[in-house]
Amino acid sequence: MNKSANRDLTNKVSLGQRIMSVPIRHLQQAIGSLGDLWRTPFTTLMTLLVLGISLTLPATLHLFVKNANNVVAKWDSASEIALFLKLSVDDKAAQNFASRLALYPEVADVEYISAEQALADFKVNSGFGEALAYLNDNPLPATVLVTPTQRSSQVNAAKALLDKLTQEREVDQGKLDLEWLTRLESMARLIEDIVLSVAFLLCLSVILIIGNTIRLAILNQKDAIAVMKLVGATDSFIQRPFMYAGIWYGLLGGLFANIAIFALAYYLSGAMSDLTNLYGTQFKLETLSFNENLYLIGFAILLGLFGSYLSVRQHIKAIEPSAD
Amino acid sequence: MIRFNQVNKTYPGGFLALKNVSFHLAAGEMAFLTGHSGAGKSTLLKLISLIEKPSSGSILINNKQLANISYRQVPFIRRQIGMIFQNHHLLMDRTVFDNVALPLIIEGYSQKEIRKRVDAALEKVHLSDKQKCYPFMLSGGEQQRVGIARAVVNKPPIILADEPTGNLDPALSLDIIRLFEDFNAVGVSVLIATHDLGLIARMKYRTLTLKDGNMITDGLKDGLHSEPSV
Repeated sequence: MNKSANRDLTNKVSLGQRIMSVPIRHLQQAIGSLGDLWRTPFTTLMTLLVLGISLTLPATLHLFVKNANNVVAKWDSASEIALFLKLSVDDKAAQNFASRLALYPEVADVEYISAEQALADFKVNSGFGEALAYLNDNPLPATVLVTPTQRSSQVNAAKALLDKLTQEREVDQGKLDLEWLTRLESMARLIEDIVLSVAFLLCLSVILIIGNTIRLAILNQKDAIAVMKLVGATDSFIQRPFMYAGIWYGLLGGLFANIAIFALAYYLSGAMSDLTNLYGTQFKLETLSFNENLYLIGFAILLGLFGSYLSVRQHIKAIEPSAD
Repeated sequence: MIRFNQVNKTYPGGFLALKNVSFHLAAGEMAFLTGHSGAGKSTLLKLISLIEKPSSGSILINNKQLANISYRQVPFIRRQIGMIFQNHHLLMDRTVFDNVALPLIIEGYSQKEIRKRVDAALEKVHLSDKQKCYPFMLSGGEQQRVGIARAVVNKPPIILADEPTGNLDPALSLDIIRLFEDFNAVGVSVLIATHDLGLIARMKYRTLTLKDGNMITDGLKDGLHSEPSV
């Protein structure tokens, strides 16, 4: 040992050196903690599978909602407003009215059914055909069927449109099949709520799984941690490898979930195309986009970091060295 | 360097481990701490290394009042104390080099500096050829010397040794004590707890003797004094 340097006790590491060493040390500890995971491959793999599955489920639900939304969006005739015109409105005025409606920005399509046509349809469909012949006048009003644009077909917008249309001079009554719409919407909301709460629970389980795994790793290293504390390691130095382990778990679990979802979507798209062929419609099952995959991994990393932080905060401080 | 003022230590449950202990170990001084098992040696060392807190009285390390040290500052005080333990406290899954390098890694030294200092410390304890060994491949004496290299690698002003010769034969024990004398010769304060009275008798250093928690002698064996080097 260098004798002259032995009394050099203050400022042993210069500030510049200290700043330079931070990223290097982080990198070392990050790689070191990956090495620690590698050293217990079976345990690590099991944990990663559990994490991957826990992440796959909410992501699959998200995929389900996304595809369901695509399907629902295609039903743009979802709400149709039937406007029954006053009996006093003659055929020409009614046609004018219908073509005026078609110019409304909220209206996608207008279909005009004259009083005569309505009667003819009724004769055919109702089975009262013979009886109707005894009527002197046509009791049925002319009808305009209005299809709102997609934007105006939500419950509230459709209602507002209905109010607006019934105020038209020619209109006697307007009818909107709101119940069906309301039911569909509330059903969609319910499914979304279920998906959200299940996703929340699964994310919670990811945090707990990672937290518990890190806790076991800390307890395994209890003696080493005590030694490090004795030679002057700060808590943040000791906890860093465990935080990185949490990040690795999140990253690898997220990657596993990506692969699982891709495989699942590939498997399902076969069955799906059989089904859609039967219905004669075009439907392509959408998988997660590139960005969504990245979000999933990023989110998993955040969960991992949070789980390990909870564990580390609780357990590292509790380990106290004993000089025995 | 180490100053105790009327320190009492009572463990939870009422056991009085230290009673009104006062002493001062000057900078660059070397001393033995002795006494039977249970006399309070370990408690005294634990108080210095901040593993335990005194029930009353004050302890100063390097002119720092330990009572005022917060939890966050503890590691920085410990870095000024090179601690050596009877059972070494080495990390069994790391090589000798990594064990010795630990205090330097913690303090953020550069790779180059770490290599230089670890080499020097291992050379000092004659273990340069065992760098890549794991602790379980070494003998008890060698493991103890790895522990010493780790304690001195960051050049602390204080060395604290708890039964460093506990498991070693007399010849090896003397080697170890000679090492401490070398460190002492360059100005490091050294406090060695041991119950090896034969060793103490041969060395003629200041001896602090504890009995049932009381400091019963604080003086020199045979009235001789080796000059403190600073």
